[in-house]
Amino acid sequence: MNPVHSKSAQAAHGYDPVTLQVIKDSLTAIGQEMFQVMIRTSMSPIIYETTDFAVGLTDAHGELVAQGNGVAGFLATLDTAVQSTLQHHPADTLKSGDVIITNTPYEGGGTHLSDVVIIVPILVGNELVGFSVNKSHWTEIGGKDAGSVTTTATEIFQEGLHLRFVKLYEEGRLNRSLVDVIAANVRMPDQTIGDMHAGVAAARTGERRVQQLFERYGMETVSFAMADLMDYGERLTRAQLRALPVGTYEAEDVIEEDGAGNGPFKLKVKVTLRDGNMLADFTGTDPQAHGPINSSRTALGTAVRCALKAITDPDLPANGGCFRPIEIICPDGTLVSAQSPAPVSIYYESLVAVIELVWKALAPAMLERLPAGHYRSVGGTFLAGTHPDSRQFFVLGEPLLGGWGATHQRDGLNGMFCCANGETYNIPVELAESRYGVQIEQYAFHQEAGGAGQYRGGRGVVLDYRVTSDEAFLTVTYSRTSTHPWGLNGGGEGSSNRAEIHRQGGALEVRTMATGVPVQQGDLIRIFTGHGGGYGDPRARGRDAIQRDLRDGYITPEQAREDYGFAQ
Amino acid sequence: MSLHISTDVGGTFTDLVLYDYDPKTLRGELRELKVDTTPPNFERGVLDAIARCGADLSQVALLAHGTTVVINALTERRGARTALVTTRGFRDVLEIGRGNRPDLFNLNFTKPVPFVERYLRAEVTERMTHLGKLQTPVVMSELDEIAENFRKEGVEAIAVCCLHAYRNPENEKTIADTLRRLLPGVPVVASHEISREWREYERSNTTVVSAFVSPVVRKYVGALRAALDQQEFSGNLYLMQSNGGMTSSEGAIANPVSMVESGPASGMIAAQALGQLIGEANLIALDVGGTTAKCTLIHNGHLSVTTEYHIERTAKHPGYPIQTAVIELVEIGQGGGSIASVDAGGRLQVGPQSAGASPGPVAYGRGGTRPTTTDANLLLGRIDAAHFLGGQVTPDLKSVRESFARLGEPLGLGEIEAAQGVLRLANANMVNALKLVSTNKGYDPRDFTLMAFGGGGALHALELAEELHIPRVIIPTHAAVFSAWGMLLTDIRRDYTMTDLRALAPGVEAALRCTYAAMEEQARNDFASQAMNQAELRFAHYADLRYLGQEHTVKVPVDLSALDSGQGISTIIDRFHADHETRYTYRLPDAGVEVVNFHLVASVHIVKPKPQLRQAGVGRIEDAYLGTRGVFFEHDGSLDVAIYDNNKLEPGMNVIGPAIIQDASSSVVLPPRHKLSVDSYGNLIIDLQSAPPPEVA
Repeated sequence: MNPVHSKSAQAAHGYDPVTLQVIKDSLTAIGQEMFQVMIRTSMSPIIYETTDFAVGLTDAHGELVAQGNGVAGFLATLDTAVQSTLQHHPADTLKSGDVIITNTPYEGGGTHLSDVVIIVPILVGNELVGFSVNKSHWTEIGGKDAGSVTTTATEIFQEGLHLRFVKLYEEGRLNRSLVDVIAANVRMPDQTIGDMHAGVAAARTGERRVQQLFERYGMETVSFAMADLMDYGERLTRAQLRALPVGTYEAEDVIEEDGAGNGPFKLKVKVTLRDGNMLADFTGTDPQAHGPINSSRTALGTAVRCALKAITDPDLPANGGCFRPIEIICPDGTLVSAQSPAPVSIYYESLVAVIELVWKALAPAMLERLPAGHYRSVGGTFLAGTHPDSRQFFVLGEPLLGGWGATHQRDGLNGMFCCANGETYNIPVELAESRYGVQIEQYAFHQEAGGAGQYRGGRGVVLDYRVTSDEAFLTVTYSRTSTHPWGLNGGGEGSSNRAEIHRQGGALEVRTMATGVPVQQGDLIRIFTGHGGGYGDPRARGRDAIQRDLRDGYITPEQAREDYGFAQ
Repeated sequence: MSLHISTDVGGTFTDLVLYDYDPKTLRGELRELKVDTTPPNFERGVLDAIARCGADLSQVALLAHGTTVVINALTERRGARTALVTTRGFRDVLEIGRGNRPDLFNLNFTKPVPFVERYLRAEVTERMTHLGKLQTPVVMSELDEIAENFRKEGVEAIAVCCLHAYRNPENEKTIADTLRRLLPGVPVVASHEISREWREYERSNTTVVSAFVSPVVRKYVGALRAALDQQEFSGNLYLMQSNGGMTSSEGAIANPVSMVESGPASGMIAAQALGQLIGEANLIALDVGGTTAKCTLIHNGHLSVTTEYHIERTAKHPGYPIQTAVIELVEIGQGGGSIASVDAGGRLQVGPQSAGASPGPVAYGRGGTRPTTTDANLLLGRIDAAHFLGGQVTPDLKSVRESFARLGEPLGLGEIEAAQGVLRLANANMVNALKLVSTNKGYDPRDFTLMAFGGGGALHALELAEELHIPRVIIPTHAAVFSAWGMLLTDIRRDYTMTDLRALAPGVEAALRCTYAAMEEQARNDFASQAMNQAELRFAHYADLRYLGQEHTVKVPVDLSALDSGQGISTIIDRFHADHETRYTYRLPDAGVEVVNFHLVASVHIVKPKPQLRQAGVGRIEDAYLGTRGVFFEHDGSLDVAIYDNNKLEPGMNVIGPAIIQDASSSVVLPPRHKLSVDSYGNLIIDLQSAPPPEVA
């Protein structure tokens, strides 16, 4: 018999495994295409440069099938948004052509008002088969301060326009009144409405591609492939969790301030790994704050999912199945389970802190995967003013890079974005000076004390902005400002984050959490981000490594002597 | 008669194409052959190939050469001990990079290690403003100490990159000239000699890798020249660059990173040139090799060139940026040697790991045990077992079967089903790559023709076209040595890109002209000093434009002669609005438009032999018929099909699928329904029936 003439095999479940694999790869490719459409159609640099967005597909119940992320911080925001949508709009009320929009912080994957979710139900015939969804940071959503970032809000109502699961399209018809409401409430309506259309375009692309998959392979096969993809994620994740040491791991940490002058606030977690499950209990965390440092429960979901991904195979797809082993406990009304109308504008500092908190709890038991603590702040820095050459109004907004912790095998990374970021790019000096009213005088690793260890913490960055505008206004939203990144197994603590304003007259001000501080031409804004924590006893560091650090100027001769007992 | 030869040194084979033609008619005879690549003395393989084809080097007028020497030196980190000199306050730019972490959930991430360690990154007090005004002149006394230190440290190459040197290179030039004087014999590369674009990290890294490979390239080109001189070669030696053009050996030494992606570029140039010859202006070009598949899109006969190029960039790693002109293409780890495997969770995957040339696919019988895409094509009858690798190797079919049986076992698949699965997944991966260059950039594949080449292109092209509803597929003659063939169709070319921000509005005509004139002057000087004929220099002008306040740019051609008419600027702006809408889905008719980069393409035309016409009307299709065998088609299953000998097909002949058209180096898998015809050059043209692929399940 000719070898190629045999019948196709059918596995035990009755579906051809290769067809299932082709469908699963197609779902991943759809995620990538949606990601590209978002970049291609967006009019905001924060989306197409900082990739501050995520796209995804869920099944009909809102379980995550595939996801494309620009930043890690959006890991728990898409499926949960769909699940909440189903509470507001039961499945049998959703029609083909509907588009739902939401930015509420307190439900389904909510973060702050600037992050807007677009949800498109996918119907094949009359049957709801899934959702195409994305979430992106809009440059403007209104509120008391430009760019919709503030450290001084005390209620959500000051932070911008609040949309709760409202229909932007009904059966393909745009709700023009809603668009008018949005446009009237934001400072840059063209850009905001442009971002809205980008979100709809990306979601519709996902919808169309999924419908094509169903048409091509049939309802049963694709539905099975989606379910099987998630089961696969669960199977592999549980197997890997079982291979990790059983136990309960605890950590505490603090966030120094809330923007309203209160603090510090305690964060607490107890993580239990047992029987292929991961339970995280945040009971004992301080109540929600007066200022906008609060975060909704979304931060908890993201933190635990990020930690789970970090301690299992990073190559596994991020889908709902992988996250089935997770259980989260936290009472309502804490700093990281804030209730309406708590302000949340700079929630991202709590998000970074709680991601690192779970990491901190697990690190001592999982040294292969987890380094010591990092500089733990997005480092949100904003400067607004008029450019001295073009006379155009500018807003410089960027996250900062800092030092990461050492691992049990190597020194920490020098100058990286924080754990909640990801495919995030810094602004080149040469671009920044053309666009904004600043001259940058240094962008370098600094030599402040901290991060000593057998393996040394990664170096923090010092960044000097010399103000060239007549006047400009500085907003900074930092945490890890008086506490330090933690070391591991005897490694030293890293250093902390701050902005210094060196006034023309010689006065020095230090700022860590402030909105709209006036600065004048000639003033120097000098920002320090922290070194990461060290690993192991500094006295165990090899002479070669210390000499190399001295040669390269990563440490000073005094630090070599005092931290490492090194004598030439 | 006149002789032109091209040689393309690949990882496994060195390909040679020779044209022996009449300079009057440009018609002549073409020969092609492959020999083994001979590392580390690559020039030996080149000379072997020339000797094997019986050419007398003293009679060769033009020798075009493509080499992987640059990319190899970079990926193997086999370059010079390199130092960097930069503006005070910025030596860590090279290590900070852009800070991105594409492997989002890996907290144990490692970032790219810079090519220069921190203690060899020196800072000089100097400063230009963002407008290119001198703020602080170079403090010359600092250079003596730096030079002394570099001497002491045994530095072998120096990169100089100052802030805003793209705008005003005076300080950078002063530093480079001084260091050349203080450290004679040590190559010094200044950023403005390689790139006039902004973004200090990207430009610094570009300069550093240029310095890093500079001595390696100098040595390589020197050895090749010496070997050629020994055989009394007196023609022109040209080296293939990543921008799809060639340069002299002097030009290659002066700007070595321009050769970083020369191999893939010439295949795409060949596709473009062939498209022009046969009237196909809209092409998706697909090159399927042993380890990777590469594809690009040619729109209205135009190949895109980008300077946003990276080496070692993956979905998990940021890689290293190089600001050099490279033909825009997508490359995926999917070739004939791609290994199939099943992971712990039962997921079947193909690639990106490759069996390479050694051990190679299981069928080679050189110790490979894990099945590859080539093995699947063989077991499924798509490659002729009786003429495997041109008949030089008897495939080890027993081992191939066993390897697929092992692969399929955890999935409940038999050996044939497993091989079918590997083929289907390989096709699906290539479909996704083709979407990246088409649908993901706003182009509809139904408006394009697929041109497939490389060893594996013809095996997969028709099924990919079916999946993407591409109406026509072309399998070019010489598909197996297409890159080498393409080199004989390229011009001498250098791309100059210069960042110079300015608003684009009526009234700036003189300023545009002035900037381009300065760039043309630079080009003339470079061509003159690098032994290239500058008398016949031709220029094409482009500008990278954007809306005010936006970041991404769109490249638009600029017709300098039309600038005088007064309509010039509005024509450019109209074209920008239209192209922006294609690429990014919207236009902003009321927004200001800004020039970010001026782009000049300087080229010198090279005489190109004309492809031969194949004789028609002598043979019959029956003469090409070789018999039948069982073949598996992705969308149609297994069928007994007719096999034809490609070498005996003649212009005007037609074949209706299902069929296989094969020769020593390739095999065209023609599914049912589609009609294949042979054009007057011997290219195979397949028009697809519009029926969509049937359901698989």
